Amino acid sequence: MEPPENSSTAGGGGGGFEDAKKIILRWDSSASEEARDKMIFNGDRQEVDRYLQAVDEIQKSLSSTSISDAGGEDQEKVNSAIQIAMARLEDEFRNILLTHTSPLEEDALNTAADYSSSSSHYSSAAAAERTGNEFDDEDNESTTLDLTDPIRRADSSSGSTVSSYRSTSSIREIDLIPAEAVSDLQSIARRMVSSGYLRECIQVYGSVRKSAVDASFRRLGIEKLSIGDIQRLEWDALETKIRRWIRAARVCVRILFASEKKLCEEIFYGIGTAIDDACFMETVKGPAIQLFNFAEAISISRRSPEKMFKILDLHDALMDLLPDIEVVFESKSADSIRVQAAEILSRLAEAARGILSEFENAVLREPSRVPVPGGTIHPLTRYVMNYISLISDYKQTLIELIMSKPSTGSRYSGDPTTPDMEFAELEGKTPLALHLIWIIVILQFNLDGKSKHYKDAALAHLFMMNNVHYIVQKVKGSPELREMIGDDYLRKLTGKFRQSATSYQRATWVSVLYCLRDEGLHVSGSFSSGVSKSALRERFKTFNAMFEEVHRTQATWLIPDSQLREELRISISEKLIPAYRSFLGRFRSHIESGRHPENYIKYSVEDLESAVLDFFEGCPVSQHLRRRSQ
Amino acid sequence: MPATENQPSFLGRISIRRNQVSAMDMNHEQELEDLELFQRHVADRFVELSSSPQSDHHHQQQSSEPLLSVGWLRKLVDVFLCCEAEFKAVLIMGRDPSQITKPPLDKLLPELHERAVKALDICNAVSGGVDSVRQCQKLAEIAVSALEQKPYGDGQIKRAKRALSCLLTALAIEDKESSHNHHHKYPERAWSFGKRGGNSHAGKDRAVVVPFRSLTMVVAKNWSAAKQIQAMCNNLVAPRGGEPTGVASPVYMMGAVMVFVMWALVAAIPCQERNGLPTHFQMPRQTVWAQSLVGLQEKIGEEWKKKEKKGCAGLLEEMQRMEKLAQSLIEFADGYQFPGEEGKVDEVAAQVEELAEICRRLEEGLVPLQLQIREVFHRIVRSRTEVLDLLENAGKVTPTIG
Repeated sequence: MEPPENSSTAGGGGGGFEDAKKIILRWDSSASEEARDKMIFNGDRQEVDRYLQAVDEIQKSLSSTSISDAGGEDQEKVNSAIQIAMARLEDEFRNILLTHTSPLEEDALNTAADYSSSSSHYSSAAAAERTGNEFDDEDNESTTLDLTDPIRRADSSSGSTVSSYRSTSSIREIDLIPAEAVSDLQSIARRMVSSGYLRECIQVYGSVRKSAVDASFRRLGIEKLSIGDIQRLEWDALETKIRRWIRAARVCVRILFASEKKLCEEIFYGIGTAIDDACFMETVKGPAIQLFNFAEAISISRRSPEKMFKILDLHDALMDLLPDIEVVFESKSADSIRVQAAEILSRLAEAARGILSEFENAVLREPSRVPVPGGTIHPLTRYVMNYISLISDYKQTLIELIMSKPSTGSRYSGDPTTPDMEFAELEGKTPLALHLIWIIVILQFNLDGKSKHYKDAALAHLFMMNNVHYIVQKVKGSPELREMIGDDYLRKLTGKFRQSATSYQRATWVSVLYCLRDEGLHVSGSFSSGVSKSALRERFKTFNAMFEEVHRTQATWLIPDSQLREELRISISEKLIPAYRSFLGRFRSHIESGRHPENYIKYSVEDLESAVLDFFEGCPVSQHLRRRSQ
Repeated sequence: MPATENQPSFLGRISIRRNQVSAMDMNHEQELEDLELFQRHVADRFVELSSSPQSDHHHQQQSSEPLLSVGWLRKLVDVFLCCEAEFKAVLIMGRDPSQITKPPLDKLLPELHERAVKALDICNAVSGGVDSVRQCQKLAEIAVSALEQKPYGDGQIKRAKRALSCLLTALAIEDKESSHNHHHKYPERAWSFGKRGGNSHAGKDRAVVVPFRSLTMVVAKNWSAAKQIQAMCNNLVAPRGGEPTGVASPVYMMGAVMVFVMWALVAAIPCQERNGLPTHFQMPRQTVWAQSLVGLQEKIGEEWKKKEKKGCAGLLEEMQRMEKLAQSLIEFADGYQFPGEEGKVDEVAAQVEELAEICRRLEEGLVPLQLQIREVFHRIVRSRTEVLDLLENAGKVTPTIG
């Protein structure tokens, strides 16, 4: 290349400048048809080099004229040439960018999404398996991970041992624009910036890349919804959207935004200060705000119990993404995005806490009064127990989120509408475990209230037995729940349903068995043979009537758990059968020696034994209790 | 009470009040006293806002903030934040939760929440609008940097013209709310020449046609700022005089302040779909606290009516001036011949200096304004949560399970 000799003295007439200017003018798109229709960078590489050299030449002239000839006609010429060249370069820059704006390949997005979502797809059912997958991710993705950041990697892998459901960083940058094009863009950007056209460069870059990001957004199904819209949507619809959002957010942060960032860094590498960052923010600030806006709207939506688990999914997904968000949006100018993500996360945590307390409130005050027929398990019990076993599936998250004990005790003490709970004996439990126990306490409290609506005291006890037994079974059925509730409290619960069973037996059978006592049957004085026949006949009749009544009603009662049902029947039989047998043994002869013994001794021991088998089946006995043996 | 309240003493007052409240039962007298204090503070704050100079006297003082300038909007948002904090104190502190479930609060609070959600969307939309103002600022900066060196060469003039016409297009698009697709367009830089007709680039040309959506619009497609404002006004009814208003009164005042502030922001800053933005809404002009507010509303309403006729950019003072300057500078550039007439060039230099000054103000003001708007967002969310908690404690919330 020739030195810029004479450029100042010759008034821009020096060979270098003049040649350069010719090239610039040849490509002045406002002047010739040909220049308008062709793009330099689409054509001959030699022409590209020639043009770039010409631009350099003009820039050199600019720096020398500005000293010696400030404000003169020469500078005017040089400035004009620069302007033409810059306008051209801007168009070339735009054209190269536009050539490569195709949105991310659908396949790439899908596989990427499935790939990264495999680790955290935890619906309640999948909760157990979710711990297993993270490590696969880590291995696979470490190949594309930014290896220049070992500290963070070390952090995240050590973190994963503590809470393994949070996968480690899985940023996966891809090449949005091929390397040759990037290097062209870079050589244009350098010249635009050094000529003071930085703002133009940023604007063109931002506008083109922004529309590419928009296209990828559409492909990912990211919608623009206002907070008002989201408040109005049905929860079912939102659940679907949350699931889709989690998937889309992973792709956006880890692939889309990360790749945009890398592209900016490559193109603007070594040019000016923080230009890459300015371009990156110009491109993704709007999309990032749009993306997070959804999670924001969810985080402030009205709290109700059914939202808990999707909110936790969202929380976990965002928590999972936070380290990546911090990397992708590390710059000062991206402060607001990092801050927003963190705020949403804490608001989701707040929402989860709020929902839990809302749930407790709802359990305490669930108002239904109609007794469930047959004393079986109340729908509330099922709902609450399913709910808290789901909670235990989200234990790892919730243990960190639930930091305060349930609001009980002193605040409500003396309040008959709220149960008491002794925390003293539950020392060493996490606040979450205390909440779960508290929920069981208020559930029982509510059920106790409901049991009062049964007219039959025995049925009220059976109802409590069934429900507390169900609670115990649910707790035992989930290792997480069992661990949190603890064996001590579980023993208490077991004692409670046993107690209900005992109370039931007392309420029903004491009076029945009372018929089988000896007192009142003997005529005073003559002990051996002095049995009052009439009293005995009356006794048998009373017993028969009572037993028939109990049999008739309690066959319609229900103990859904077969083992519990069996146990209770055995327990009944153990008391009833020996008593009846011995009563029969002692007094049978007195009846049989009289008239119509079958009117008084209607049932054999075997009859009773088989009648007990009809109890608690929840269906009316088809035929009247009859003597079946004989 | 002096009209110029600064923040520290205001906060001090709150904490004094808190002690008072916790020390004694919230009886009726106390409530009236609180209410009066709240009214007086609201009045004071808006008096101060409306004492800002008119926009056409902006050269008077450096420190003064013309109506609807970025500086003024920042003050406006500050006023909102102060009112909101005090309102919450009046509403929540020391209040017997059971009151919340009874008339009039049982009806007023849900309305307040409805309004709050709408305000949140407006915050987001306005915050996006601030970004489009920044885009315009960038374009103006290009023009400034091209026209700062003299004499104006052909190259500089062309560069400035390109930036300015792009700026005017951007302003026009920001304002073209009736456009059928409702999308704000990104103020895209035009190609340096007419529409490219080259057949060899047909494939790529299609990409140019794809509408460049605004960087910043985050709200839904059919979302309309005007409709949100209208909906916010809908159930905002002053408690009737003569009735023992009690707590209904501050709730109404806060509603009015919120609607006014959101309305002013929407009018000033580019915002999706402002067609049909009310120019007037019911304010109790007879009350002391609302007087300055009504005055401001009338002034801004007038400006908005003018704007609707003329079809200029949003009411943001800087944008309006920017538009005028851009038009004038483009005219100059169109007829420019090197080296230009001396008088004309000096005049242009002054305009460039003014444009540069506007850019500086925007540069200083827009980011803080955006942060403040975010703070408003947070504040509204937090208050909403606090009131919900209060409701929960009042045992009101009894969702059925199952």
